Amino acid sequence: MTELAIEARGLIKRYGDLTAINGVDLAVPTGTIFALLGPNGAGKTTTINILTTLIQPTAGEARVAGHDVVRAAERVRQCIGVTFQDIAVDQDLTGREVLDIHGQLYRQSSAERRRRIGELVDLVQLNEAIDRRVRTYSGGMKRRLELARGLMTEPAVLFLDEPTQGLDPQNRVGIWGYIRDLNRTRGLSLLLTTHYMDEAEALAGRVGIVDHGRIVAEGQPNALVAALGADVIRVRGQGDRAHFATVMAGLPFVDRVETDAEGGVVLVYVDSGSRRLVEVLGAASGNAFRIDDVTVARPSLGDVFLHHTGHALRD
Amino acid sequence: MHATYVIWNKHMLKFLRNREELIGLALQSVLWVVLFGVGMRGMISDVGGRDYMSYILPGIVALSALGGAVGGGMVMLDERLRGILKEYLAAPIPRLSILLGSATSTATKAMVQAAIMLVVGVLMGARLALNPLGWLFALLLLAVFAIGFSGLALAVAAVSRSIAGYHGMIFLLNLPLLFASNALYPLTVLPGWMKVVVLLNPTTYLIDAVRTLAFGAEPTLPMALSVAVICLFGTLCTWLALNMFQRTVRG
Repeated sequence: MTELAIEARGLIKRYGDLTAINGVDLAVPTGTIFALLGPNGAGKTTTINILTTLIQPTAGEARVAGHDVVRAAERVRQCIGVTFQDIAVDQDLTGREVLDIHGQLYRQSSAERRRRIGELVDLVQLNEAIDRRVRTYSGGMKRRLELARGLMTEPAVLFLDEPTQGLDPQNRVGIWGYIRDLNRTRGLSLLLTTHYMDEAEALAGRVGIVDHGRIVAEGQPNALVAALGADVIRVRGQGDRAHFATVMAGLPFVDRVETDAEGGVVLVYVDSGSRRLVEVLGAASGNAFRIDDVTVARPSLGDVFLHHTGHALRD
Repeated sequence: MHATYVIWNKHMLKFLRNREELIGLALQSVLWVVLFGVGMRGMISDVGGRDYMSYILPGIVALSALGGAVGGGMVMLDERLRGILKEYLAAPIPRLSILLGSATSTATKAMVQAAIMLVVGVLMGARLALNPLGWLFALLLLAVFAIGFSGLALAVAAVSRSIAGYHGMIFLLNLPLLFASNALYPLTVLPGWMKVVVLLNPTTYLIDAVRTLAFGAEPTLPMALSVAVICLFGTLCTWLALNMFQRTVRG
């Protein structure tokens, strides 16, 4: 028995000239929530599609719950649950029918289906709506129904592609709660994709940062953040940013300087933000760089993203 | 097999629930028989000594089978465009069962539609031959034809990018299948070039066989040939659907 819920080595997927993913390596320990964090088009969905056997990789191999996704696709399908990026539920069926038909596809007995539906409806709090047509559901309710459908067959590994995309804050926090509960109380392994930093931060035990079809950094969120240094001073201003950055990099207490060209921000990593702030500002004034805005903070996952990819992650 | 049944069952559930589709299908059948049949009957009293209603009913029944198949293709297209297909693809069921579930539900709809037409046609004065075995055989051929056209509809559904595109392509297939056939006029009145086109159309063979079997007309084409053509059409279209479908699900 393997200790890894998901492992992938050198996954590549090409469509003609287009390379969707270019050598993805993954190792998700059993019982972990793993978040693939990256912008749209980075290759997150392609990775999930390969791991859930919807498409085959051009090269590389992957195992889910110990089964090869190409050679033992049938076995993989038996032990996973999936929710897709775009809401995909039959509008003309009731919530109960959606869950029931899903269970039938997996050959669950009718008693088993009834029991599961009862449990899941409680879990995702759809008690009142479950016998209504899905057509009448709000976006958040449809997502909750999809989550329930993914859990219907008690999967060993659950895949969630952008589970809270397009939801209001209240529904997002609700979905986060269910995901955390599932992981904590049943030890469910989860792989989710997101382009929301706060989502990865709130949920994931481990994060993989995806950019241009590769995982450029991987680890526990706080370890990734801690690796950046103690504090970050974000300076937004006008003038010669490159020169300002060079000057900053020359200061003895500065660990590292990064610029987010698009956002017009220079990030100065220092040993102690509040103590060094004045010196940073002083260096700016002597260099014809006019500062509009300064913040001192602990680095965030967003800074980790910028550090590894050279550009900021925007929602 | 089990998954095929589950998907068929689900499509039927959606079909029965969709009142607009149901009423539309039923009314369409009735309107064809009543408006077209009755109108034409005023102009043409008989074809080769048989009343016109009995003459065109097999054609209208075949046409309605096409209509049912188009509706069935829509269901699969809709599931594909909405992403519901992915639920099946991630499930531990054979890929083939997804297509078969759609094909059987599509053919079922086509048969229901055809059955309504037959009943309405008979009520409107078409005369069936007193030959239950012939009816049964005619229905069987109709079923094979419906499966064939369902296959065609599903093949188009598998590659269409939008619902409008699907309807455009289907319309292009649908129209010649009806008008370039012996559905509305006998083969003998057609000019030579059109006779060739009509004889290339599998619908012609179905209609001739149904006319002979269920309405007691003299066959204008050898029955064995008609049966062979219909079976070949059914097989070819199913194969085509399978091919197109596999192409879309392969990543």
